[in-house]
Amino acid sequence: MLTREQAKKLTDKALSFSTFPECEVSVNSSESAFIRFAVNDVTTSGFTVEQSMSITSIRDGKTGSTRVDEFDDDSLRDAVKRTERLALISPANPERVPPLEPQKYPEIENYAASTAGARNQAMIPHIHAIIDGARTNSLVAAGFFERSAETAAIANKQGNFGYGRTTDANLSATVRDSAGSSSGWASRPAVQIEAIDGGAVAKTAIDKCLRWKEPKRLDPGKYAVVLEPTATGDLVQLMGFSMQARAAEEGRSFLSKKGGGTLVGEKLFPEFITLRTDPFNPLYSALPWGGGGFGFRGGGGGGGGLPAERMSWIENGVVKNLFYDRYWAAKAGKPATAFPTRLVLDGGDKSLADLIASVDRGLLVTRFWYIRVVNQQTVQLTGLTRDGVFLIEQGKVTSPVVNFRFNQSPVEMLKNTIAAGRPIRVRGGEGQGMIAPPLLVKDFSFTSVSDAV
Amino acid sequence: MLTRRTFLQSSAATALATRLFAAPEGSTKPNPELENLGAVALREAKKLKASYADVRIIRYRQQFLTVRLNPERGTGKTLEVPAVSDGGSFGFGVRVIVGGAWGFAASPLVTKEEIARMTAEAVAVARANAALMTKPVELAPVPAYRERWQTPHERDPFAVPLEEKLDLIRSAAAEVKKEKGVFAAGCNLSFRSEDKYFASSVGSSIQQLNLQTYGQVNATATDFKRALSKSRRYQPQQVTAGYEYVPLMNLVENAQRIREEVIEHLNAPPVTPGKKDLVLVPSHLWLTIHESIGHSTELDRALGYEANFAGTSFLTTEKMGSYRVGSDIMNIWGDRTTERGLATTGFDDDGVKASKFPIIEKGIFKHYQTTRDQAHLIGERESRGCCYADNWSSVPFQRMPNVWLEPGKSETNLDDLISSVDDGILIDGDGSFSIDQQRYNFQFGGDAFWEIKHGKKQGMVSRVAYQSRTIDFWQACDLIAGPSYWQQWGAPNDGKGEPEQINSVSHGCSPARFRQVNVIQTD
Repeated sequence: MLTREQAKKLTDKALSFSTFPECEVSVNSSESAFIRFAVNDVTTSGFTVEQSMSITSIRDGKTGSTRVDEFDDDSLRDAVKRTERLALISPANPERVPPLEPQKYPEIENYAASTAGARNQAMIPHIHAIIDGARTNSLVAAGFFERSAETAAIANKQGNFGYGRTTDANLSATVRDSAGSSSGWASRPAVQIEAIDGGAVAKTAIDKCLRWKEPKRLDPGKYAVVLEPTATGDLVQLMGFSMQARAAEEGRSFLSKKGGGTLVGEKLFPEFITLRTDPFNPLYSALPWGGGGFGFRGGGGGGGGLPAERMSWIENGVVKNLFYDRYWAAKAGKPATAFPTRLVLDGGDKSLADLIASVDRGLLVTRFWYIRVVNQQTVQLTGLTRDGVFLIEQGKVTSPVVNFRFNQSPVEMLKNTIAAGRPIRVRGGEGQGMIAPPLLVKDFSFTSVSDAV
Repeated sequence: MLTRRTFLQSSAATALATRLFAAPEGSTKPNPELENLGAVALREAKKLKASYADVRIIRYRQQFLTVRLNPERGTGKTLEVPAVSDGGSFGFGVRVIVGGAWGFAASPLVTKEEIARMTAEAVAVARANAALMTKPVELAPVPAYRERWQTPHERDPFAVPLEEKLDLIRSAAAEVKKEKGVFAAGCNLSFRSEDKYFASSVGSSIQQLNLQTYGQVNATATDFKRALSKSRRYQPQQVTAGYEYVPLMNLVENAQRIREEVIEHLNAPPVTPGKKDLVLVPSHLWLTIHESIGHSTELDRALGYEANFAGTSFLTTEKMGSYRVGSDIMNIWGDRTTERGLATTGFDDDGVKASKFPIIEKGIFKHYQTTRDQAHLIGERESRGCCYADNWSSVPFQRMPNVWLEPGKSETNLDDLISSVDDGILIDGDGSFSIDQQRYNFQFGGDAFWEIKHGKKQGMVSRVAYQSRTIDFWQACDLIAGPSYWQQWGAPNDGKGEPEQINSVSHGCSPARFRQVNVIQTD
């Protein structure tokens, strides 16, 4: 992987081939090791080295882009030339923003050498713990353990340069009974691989599987639900995309006001709802940039490459900020903001058990699956519960329940939230996850029953 | 100074894809330089006692052109926002079996030294895994091939002047924006090539060029008073073909159609929910086939290999050969030979020759999709050729071939499907889609919906989705239009596996009718 010096040399080299007034490059190099297991056996495993450079050349707003993963002089020279030729042919982009002057990037060095160096030998004992635990209980385990290390750099012809490196790891496991009539799941994402404990993941997944036996079939409808942190994260992470100022102003968002304008400043949610971006949270790995554009570099519009920063989207129930890319910010006379990623939904001190104890009749949901947007504007989502739904009666978990399909917007869900517990970092089956608390929500909309296990 | 025209002439000569993989015109054998590189991996693996090895050396190229027309903030003036990118990737992946376990390693440095180093790395990975393994990998036999194959095409899309492509997408987007009520319009074209060399210790040496061509026109209409926004898309069939397919997309003509339809969509009344008959045309039905039948008949899912991510399947192995999934008129094929299908190729990533096989016959489930290391698990002696990796850096595993529905009788037309529907909906295009992890319960939206009343197609309705169970839905299929209506749509991004990989796949069908399906009203 590239050191800061190597990355600087490489981006300098690419920029030296540029003949246009503007050229932006970003370079990534990564190493990842993974083991996949299923049916109580290791199935696939690998070690992968990857590198790539994205190059964009601009003259008079005319823009051309390419991506290469060969870094010899000839390949880089050809690539820069190619972007210049593409730009000459392309019409000018009226939404292009000026190149960034040199930026001062914060130090975010959330890099663990232990994670970057871990190979199969370090990962296999955790998988052993899961498979052995499943076998002991006559169950069947499947799962995935991956660790990755990445270095990234951005640079432009105006002398801006940034460098960052990250590590991350995640272990997830699904444990099923041999008849396929019960299933449990758990996962543990962490920047530092030593924080991952296969035994603990096994215990949660096995416990869920053993408890979700002969589930009861309930009618679809509106229920009070206690969402485990992963279930909360599965839905709320999808709200990030809906915080865009442009969509709100253009009447395409839940934050659009009837007749025009946006709902910024309005209190839409309960007092305790605060949703924010925090790339500095030590539970996350993040690069030192990430603001002002849709990618960390930008490209066809919007900009990008501004220093990483904290930003509240919803604060104490009030819509506080919208995402402004550099182009839209300039048009609107507002500062460009962080992109809504590395999300944190704040919570309180209550435990999951406290939330369950406060429910008269409702459902406990482990996680959701196959979540898709039904209506972009209202953020109505559909998807299904998976790996453990339980009935709560008089403050106690009384019986397992057959899975449901839901049609529900996380916006309405947060409006209907009654209480939030302690947040943790979660990563479900889809998306990068977030830091999310367990929630108690009223009137969650389940629309049909699913026989899936 | 370089003019547009001079670049257009020189671009083909400097094209990313030609450097290593060039071969004499009409050659039927792989490039000798690639054969030499591949041999390094096979030699090294043999030296390190691997019982099997294969290597894939792949160069990808992707070109994407898009234009968006939208009003400028503050002035309302229409801005034309273009984006053009043209990039690629090059690298290799080595797969070995040592001590009965798989190992894999990949790198972007395609040199003999790195190939030898990563082959040793793959062997080390396999050895570490062998310690945990209880059942050694078993491969179904495959003949050795030495061949060269390419997507049938007349015009290399990467050799076509960018200016010609830009002119086309600009005029299609402009055509949409001619309607005053359209807020934003867009059009894009994209092209992808996969120039892949495969060599295995079985003795195969195969070079293939797969070419994909995509396009789209889209429109958005907004009513600020109601804070309401709706869209409409023209999605041409996604194909393996060259640029000769682009004129057949009729982008400009369809742009004229969708600019009217997006306004109709914005003002369309919401559907009245309830049980209704559905008439689903191929631009929509492909996705329902994909999710409900394509994925449920994957053997890795049925056996539990995808249990932690994509899920398992309601079609467990004891159901093979006898279980009724749909009505008698339902016949489904797995097929990597379909003309222009996105999964169509010469050989899979196990080196198995592409073939066609029945998945469902007269409503009964007959066969799974398989790879070489799966066939023996259900007592079969050969692979169905469904192995694919989405990158040189990805591990090959079981991926979906084109899975298509046989058309109905030749005399059956679309009017026949509609004429006996008293209360129904005709759905065009795909929308939101979601299905559970065993492929029972699904919900699909669409891109546009028309009411059918008393046997006649009426005006558009909005906010439609339908929910059903796979077997209830397919058993409610009572009429399929004839072969002249058969068309295939697909996707380049079907996700599965950990780390997640994508796959390109098409699903052909004729319009079909489904009785009394639960229709819901969405937001």
